Amino acid sequence: MRWTPAILHSPAGERVRCDLCPHRCALAPGQVGACKVRRGAAGGMETATFATSVAHTDAVERKPFFHYRPGALALTLAAPGCSFRCDYCVNHPLSQYGREEGPAWEAAPVDVPEVVAAAAARGACVALSYSEPSLAVELTLALAEHGRAAGVEVVWKSNGFLTPEAIDVVTPALAAVNIDLKGLDEARHRRLTGAAAAPVLAAIRAFHQAGVWVEVSTPLVPGVSSSPEDLSAIAAAIADVDRDIPWHLLRFTPAYRMREENPTSPAELAAAVAIGRAAGLRHVYVERALGEEGRNTRCHGCGDTVVERGIWSLGANHLAAGDCPVCGTSIAGRW
Amino acid sequence: MGHRFVENLPDLIQPEEYQDHPDGRLVRLRIRVTDEGVEVLGDAMRPEVIERVLRSLGQDPIDQMLCG
Ligand code: SF4
Repeated sequence: MRWTPAILHSPAGERVRCDLCPHRCALAPGQVGACKVRRGAAGGMETATFATSVAHTDAVERKPFFHYRPGALALTLAAPGCSFRCDYCVNHPLSQYGREEGPAWEAAPVDVPEVVAAAAARGACVALSYSEPSLAVELTLALAEHGRAAGVEVVWKSNGFLTPEAIDVVTPALAAVNIDLKGLDEARHRRLTGAAAAPVLAAIRAFHQAGVWVEVSTPLVPGVSSSPEDLSAIAAAIADVDRDIPWHLLRFTPAYRMREENPTSPAELAAAVAIGRAAGLRHVYVERALGEEGRNTRCHGCGDTVVERGIWSLGANHLAAGDCPVCGTSIAGRW
Repeated sequence: MGHRFVENLPDLIQPEEYQDHPDGRLVRLRIRVTDEGVEVLGDAMRPEVIERVLRSLGQDPIDQMLCG
């Protein structure tokens, strides 16, 4: 484990306050924050996240991004660690590093020029995913800086739990972000994740306003986000930011500390799609359970199918420079 | 009890089967003899179930695909 200088902190008496996420940990030198991968240091802070446990190349659809460069490849990096401790996390062997019975640290330092060159050679973007990418804000900035000249963009799959200062710092570095919105009820969100919900919705709005391409994912977590009332509230909140934001509905998988519940049924996912549409969202997606219809993009002007997808892959993109080839309606996205 | 995070693993359970297993108890295993030895591939609607099965067969580390 290698600790390197971290940004986004301010003095707090004898301690240093981390200004990266809304936990705003006040840390003595050597003390790690709630995320377990950033710590206080003499006169500042350090991070362990200039590192990765993986270097996977896959389609951007897998993050999932459906309206950002369909069919493009993403070179995915992920350091251990998360600012949430979600009870259902399928990725807990990576994300829950440092917590009770958590996994050991297994990650290697990232060679930024090497990663950018590897992505450029395949026309890929670099994605920070699997664990929480905002904890690797320094790595994100470095990748974006090197990537700019090579035409390599950086994208995140994030929990959206960032302070306004952190969002301001990172927006120029990001082309797209998919944010998990796991619920809006503060008490239940906090029980599930250990963190507040309001900053997540604020981050969706802030990234969107700053011009970063935003998609939102909602896992149908029993007791938190799966009831029609909860889904309606979430869909309305997204539509209030922008009806064009794609909303991905994710099947709940019983895992980690939530093993008693059942997985989400296809009928529940179909009902959730209807709820999203009723709230005014134009693009609501289900990756697998509802077949092709769940994955394809339809023009909201004429109903024509404009992007066809397989499971985690592009089938065919019929858009003409982002417009429907039949009626000319513009479909929001980075095509 | 480690995990190795891999880019891709074949799906042994298809979305069409979700309907028939509302309680998520379906587990599927594929056992093959390869040049390297015996390969055991598993898929389950509850990841911990397949992990228990693979550990009981002595698999360590277990190859796992990550979400996202
Ligand atoms: S990023 Fe980590 S150290 Fe910083 S406030 Fe959040 S949990 Fe605390």
